[in-house]
Amino acid sequence: MSKSVSANAVELSILKDITFEVFSGETVAIIGTSGAGKSTLMTLLAGLDVVSSGEIELLGRPLSQLDDEQRAKIRSESIGFVFQNFLLIPSLTALENVTLPAILRGEGEDKDKAQRLLASVGLSGRETHLPSQLSGGEQQRVALARAFMTQPKILFADEPTGNLDEHTAENIIELLFEMNRDHGTTLVLITHDANLARRCERTLSIHAGELKES
Amino acid sequence: MSKLQTPSGAQMVMRWSWREIWQGQLWPVMAALTLIIACVVALSALAIRVEKVMTDHGRSMLAGDLVFRSANPTPELILNKAQQLNLTISEQTRFQTMAFSDKGMQLVTVKAVPDNYPLRGELILTGEGGAVQSSLQPGQLWLAERLFSLLEVKIGDVVAIGDVELRVSGKIESEPELSYNPFRTMPSVFIHVADLDKTGALQLGSRVQYRSFFKGSDSALAQIQQDYPLQAGERWISEDNQGRSADLIGKAKQYLSLTILMVILMAAVTLVLTCQHYASSRSATVAMLKSMGASKSWLRRWLLSQVGLMFSMAIIFGSLIGLGLELLLRLPLTGILPEQLPGYGWQPFVFASAVALLIGLPALGIPLLRLLDTPAIAVLQAQSEKSSKKGVWLIAVPICAFLLVYGTNSLVWMVFAGLVVLFLLLAGGSYLLLHLLSKAKWGAAMSLALSRIKRSAINSMMQLAALSGSLMLVAVIWLVKSDLLGDWQQTLPPDAPNVFALNIAPTQQQAYLHKLDQQQVQRSQGYPIIRGRLTQINGQDAKQYADHDGNHINALRRELNFTWVEQLPDHNQVVAGQWTTQAGVSLEQELAQELGVRVGDRLGFSVNGQPFSAQVNSLRQVQWQSMKPNFYVIFSPDVVQGLPATWLVSFRINDQQVPFLNQLGRDYPTVSLLDLRTMGGKIQAILGQITWSLTVLAGLGVISGILLIFTLLRLSLNQRRREITLYRTLGASRKRISQTLWSEYGVMAVSAGLLAVIGAELIVFSLIKWGFELTPSLHIGMWFVLPILAMLVVFASLSSVIQQLLRPLK
Repeated sequence: MSKSVSANAVELSILKDITFEVFSGETVAIIGTSGAGKSTLMTLLAGLDVVSSGEIELLGRPLSQLDDEQRAKIRSESIGFVFQNFLLIPSLTALENVTLPAILRGEGEDKDKAQRLLASVGLSGRETHLPSQLSGGEQQRVALARAFMTQPKILFADEPTGNLDEHTAENIIELLFEMNRDHGTTLVLITHDANLARRCERTLSIHAGELKES
Repeated sequence: MSKLQTPSGAQMVMRWSWREIWQGQLWPVMAALTLIIACVVALSALAIRVEKVMTDHGRSMLAGDLVFRSANPTPELILNKAQQLNLTISEQTRFQTMAFSDKGMQLVTVKAVPDNYPLRGELILTGEGGAVQSSLQPGQLWLAERLFSLLEVKIGDVVAIGDVELRVSGKIESEPELSYNPFRTMPSVFIHVADLDKTGALQLGSRVQYRSFFKGSDSALAQIQQDYPLQAGERWISEDNQGRSADLIGKAKQYLSLTILMVILMAAVTLVLTCQHYASSRSATVAMLKSMGASKSWLRRWLLSQVGLMFSMAIIFGSLIGLGLELLLRLPLTGILPEQLPGYGWQPFVFASAVALLIGLPALGIPLLRLLDTPAIAVLQAQSEKSSKKGVWLIAVPICAFLLVYGTNSLVWMVFAGLVVLFLLLAGGSYLLLHLLSKAKWGAAMSLALSRIKRSAINSMMQLAALSGSLMLVAVIWLVKSDLLGDWQQTLPPDAPNVFALNIAPTQQQAYLHKLDQQQVQRSQGYPIIRGRLTQINGQDAKQYADHDGNHINALRRELNFTWVEQLPDHNQVVAGQWTTQAGVSLEQELAQELGVRVGDRLGFSVNGQPFSAQVNSLRQVQWQSMKPNFYVIFSPDVVQGLPATWLVSFRINDQQVPFLNQLGRDYPTVSLLDLRTMGGKIQAILGQITWSLTVLAGLGVISGILLIFTLLRLSLNQRRREITLYRTLGASRKRISQTLWSEYGVMAVSAGLLAVIGAELIVFSLIKWGFELTPSLHIGMWFVLPILAMLVVFASLSSVIQQLLRPLK
């Protein structure tokens, strides 16, 4: 598959003829320098955007043949996200932020499950706190709990420690891999940190839009 | 996907919406909506109340809700119809006759009325020993105060009215129907309708006026007028066509509509801006929700639940605040408004909610529809903003409603069209002004500020146009009010004459005026009065010349009051030609228009069968409501000086001079004194009532405007937060940033103030000239006040956020 964008009437090729497979339960790191195309690749893999040419099959379904709504359905049913800047809803409590994916799936507000998840990321007693009352590391823990709320088959993590100090980052990574193991989720981790990437089973390196397996 | 309807999911979404309103970015939108609803509720409730009070006032001066006036008895058809429509009916037969006492005689206006007169207003009759009554009994005779001295009678004396002799029951303290036409009013006498035949005054061919009064629902009153086609000499009189008070009420109503419209416009601008700000602040959330799999229908329901909750809250709070505001607005009117105020029903609440909904639809709908289109990918990669036409059709909703409601109101259209044109002109003007400013040499802070403004030219222009537009609306509300009140005060100043003396013989004239001057009574000049007819226009019979298409001109069918003067009265404005003191005549402009007469035409007149002619030298604008002596026809002295005339003078009597007035009546029994003190007081009361209402309304409009400007500036400053943080990160000092901000917003304030003055002067000129049909003027004070006001509001807004903006970086 390839991805290009047009800017000022010039066609820019972001990803060039990339082919790879990720298997169920695998942990895969995609590394590369800034602007290499890591995030673009993730948006395509998660069905947030569509390829310019070629095809991506997600859980057996060709994404380019699905419309926005169908891709959203797949995401709500099978995919979890952890973002660099946490992206919690500021006006919802920690517990409510965690229940959100279940509500989007129409499963209602399963508070017990959300509480268990918050407990598993070490935030028991912080359920009613708003994001503004939590530290960066705590916010990312809430985001982790939220990502596992709907038992996703695949978890996409985009620079999950990019906004955290070293010590907190280490804790979060531990937690991420631990939860991933516990839930048997496929992990696609986007990072520029080679050390972090080494913790995954496979590392795909992207450079100037081209992908190499390392 | 979906299912907000899942109970617990729906609950969470409602909680979320609730917090978005109170803690999130939705509160400014909610505040703007609440402001719209509160203002519209308060203004329309007050408008309804004041209108009802004013209508009641107008009707009380008519003695009924509706009056049918005719030279013949009221047709049975009308009376039957009125009964069918459940209207209460009263009547009056009015004629002029001589009243005789043992010692004197006087021409009087006799009003024969039944027990139930008046249906509206107050008839206060003071009898023996000060006993007060408000209706008449058969056999009673009530006299106007000055008839007691003119006829030299007291209560209990006998006075003959035509063939009947009646004992004087007492004095007419106050009567509802008052006229201030000095030429048509004689002292009143009230008798019961049962005694009418006994007077023998109603003979074939005698000049009698019949009036029927009706009271009932507005729809029945409208129906009866619609069902009966008026014949010649018949007329319906209602508070809408009843001279001065109708004019006051009409203009006050126009001003109310104007103020409501402007407040709505200002709040709508606030709403649009806050909605846009909200939508842009929520694009990241929508992208995140989409990335987690939220479908469009879920997002639509999510936004709808927020908007629905917000609207419900805004309606509840807006209505409550509106009620409080109406109470507050009414406080200064205590004592002027009656104790038992008419209610306003549900109308203000329904109207306010409808207005908020209509404005909210495009204001919220367009940015929210675009928000729904935020791509999921925006969660990871910032997307450039694409111009979208999505939802633009929603603008048609309020426009269609506006067309439906105001389609026929030219004043509102004038304002609306003017605002659109002015907004564009202001945007262009702002650009030009900033361009000129940036050419000059400035210090570092000012240069930075100007370059910042120029860099985002469109944004700055829009901001400046919105700022100057709001200031302009504030100025318009205030200036129109001042001009209106100024005009009213001018036409009816507190020192307006309140007594007219008529029928002064030429031999008495010098002595009479001297007597007034001796008592230092403020008076007009003496005017000679000559009764005559206009007979010819340019050598042709006047009726043939002017009456056409069945257009019968009343002035040609009766005698007119002529006068002659050396100089035209100051209160008459010459609108065509020039006054000359040789062989000329000046006509009132509306009569001239009716007759088709222009300056230079030759008119033929007849006085006591003696013909003469004069050339029209000028046309005059006459304010008939001004309670000053006014004439349709004024001659230069040489034309009519030799003709026999009586004299008229108007003057102002204060309370201490009342004995002098009574003595004057006794010293000159043949001079008719028309005492307008009661009626002048009534008109002054209405004027005072309207003045207060309009001042309070204008005040509210100005406060709304200033709030809008404050919101605008705070939004604009909040949008600058990130940029300022960046400057601070790059090492810019607090002082430098602060100076730049003050310079930037200072330039904006002064420019907006100046542009607003220009715009306001243009709008006020159009409104006063074409909308209210008054004489426009320039408002020099506003040229200083508005830029200063703009500076003050900017100062307040900037001061309230600058500390936050310049907070030390973390």
